Amino acid sequence: MNTLVHRRADWTGIIMAVVLTLVIVLPLIVVGTWAFANVWRYPSVIPQEFGLRFWYQTLARADVWTSIGTSLTLSLTVTALSAAICLPAAYAFARMEFPGRNILFFSFLAGHAFPKFGLLVAIAGIFLQLNLIGTFWGVVLIQLVGTLLFMIWIPVAAFQSVDRRMEEAARDVGAGPFRVFWSITLPQAGPTIAAAVLLSFVGTFYETEGAWLIGAPQVRTLPVLMISFINNQPVIQYGAVLSVLLWVPSFIALMFARRVVNSGSFARGFGG
Amino acid sequence: MTIVAEGSTGTNENRGGPIGLLLVALPVFLVCWLVIWPIISAVMRTLWLTSETGEKRFSTETYQFFFSDPYSLSNLSLTLWTTCVCALLLLLVCLPIALYLRFSTSKVAAYVQGLAIFPMFVPSIILSFAFIRVLGPNGTVDLLLNAASLPKMRSPYLTPWGPVIGLVWDNIPLTVLILLAGLGSVSNQAIEAARDVGAGKLAVLWHIILPRIVNSILVAISFAVLGIFSAFTLPYILGPAAPELIGPFMQRTFRDLYDPINAITQAVITFGFCIVFGLFYVRSVAKNRAP
Repeated sequence: MNTLVHRRADWTGIIMAVVLTLVIVLPLIVVGTWAFANVWRYPSVIPQEFGLRFWYQTLARADVWTSIGTSLTLSLTVTALSAAICLPAAYAFARMEFPGRNILFFSFLAGHAFPKFGLLVAIAGIFLQLNLIGTFWGVVLIQLVGTLLFMIWIPVAAFQSVDRRMEEAARDVGAGPFRVFWSITLPQAGPTIAAAVLLSFVGTFYETEGAWLIGAPQVRTLPVLMISFINNQPVIQYGAVLSVLLWVPSFIALMFARRVVNSGSFARGFGG
Repeated sequence: MTIVAEGSTGTNENRGGPIGLLLVALPVFLVCWLVIWPIISAVMRTLWLTSETGEKRFSTETYQFFFSDPYSLSNLSLTLWTTCVCALLLLLVCLPIALYLRFSTSKVAAYVQGLAIFPMFVPSIILSFAFIRVLGPNGTVDLLLNAASLPKMRSPYLTPWGPVIGLVWDNIPLTVLILLAGLGSVSNQAIEAARDVGAGKLAVLWHIILPRIVNSILVAISFAVLGIFSAFTLPYILGPAAPELIGPFMQRTFRDLYDPINAITQAVITFGFCIVFGLFYVRSVAKNRAP
């Protein structure tokens, strides 16, 4: 590779870095600045007064706390249900032979072969007949469907990459199947499965479209509250503070997922 | 991912047919009930309408209404325009980034890659808010223009360009990753060989690199089209009120106008427009991944 491109200074890279910084980082810095601006009136390039005033005001709002509660309950419920039904299924796909295994494995792609919001509207049509519109469990179901693909495909890869010889060895010295799973299989597959669980938690936490279509206005998650702040709230800082709060789970995911995302296998999962 | 060869050590590989089926039953049931059934049901309900007397009859009138209603048609054409412009812009932005990342060895490349992937970790709702604060009226760009004593710009907020900018921003990471994965299959030898016989940079790009990554480009476009065609959050917040993109249009028909049959008709129409991309996407993923 070294012989391929040999430039003096990497000007292409520097230009790209500067442009991307301006386009991708700057908008987020602006939001962060708004969250800590007590006063920021028009022609001034930086806020007239910094401070935490709007943090106190935002965190004193009842609707913010209700939404945080709703969002966390929803995400935890969906992630727990998803793990409970998907992880055994993933184990079966990775280790067992049964009729229709391939076609069932690829059936989870079906949800991603259609434009997402169109599919949501079609599901909402079904929920309308079942009186699930505007209910907590309606939102749980619609978000659960969104987690299936990742919660099955990533753990399947994890179970497949477990060293089978170690399992055999454990069995040879007399360990029962449950013991083998608990002491050999799980510790090896664990980190990847944990990443999948984290991904589905974060994905559910930010899921906006299903929550808005099925849940609003009765079920108000943080992103749904954020939409109403953007549309109807004249105080800019509320939205800014909420954005910073909202971004925390994503930041945690960023820390954990960096290695997974940068590896080629991630993109290949998307068909690249 | 398929390193563990089937049957190499698998003493119990063929065991547990019924148990396996039982373990996968619940998620498969969910997919059938909440993905496949809604799609079939959507087509049926919009083609076999229930009349007031309760009897069902075959009719295409909701589709005839959609394709004769000027407002629906202008929403559809705005959606098609947005999807095409976004796909084109994404390629124009992401291909150079991916090419640079593939062939660069400098330290800047790691930083560029980090930035290009970063939008994946910014939820679109925060992006919408940031967009308004930066490009909206009296936003950061206006502040800077004013500080430089220049006239204000015409804000893209609430114009068709609002969703375009937002959607491109949002789709950069996956497009770059997919193209980068495709570029991984372009060998250095092929490029060096072309260079040796005197090919310029453009010729190498056109004759050596592009033919090898056509499939990745198509996958990236399919993925982007599926995401953009019925996008909701960004167009709903950043786009114009009328005409609107099909995502917000469906939501409004369903929730605000209480007209589920027409909303579902619109959904079926989006399926129709995206079916080719969906099938292509599924085929490419399935080729890369064996259970």
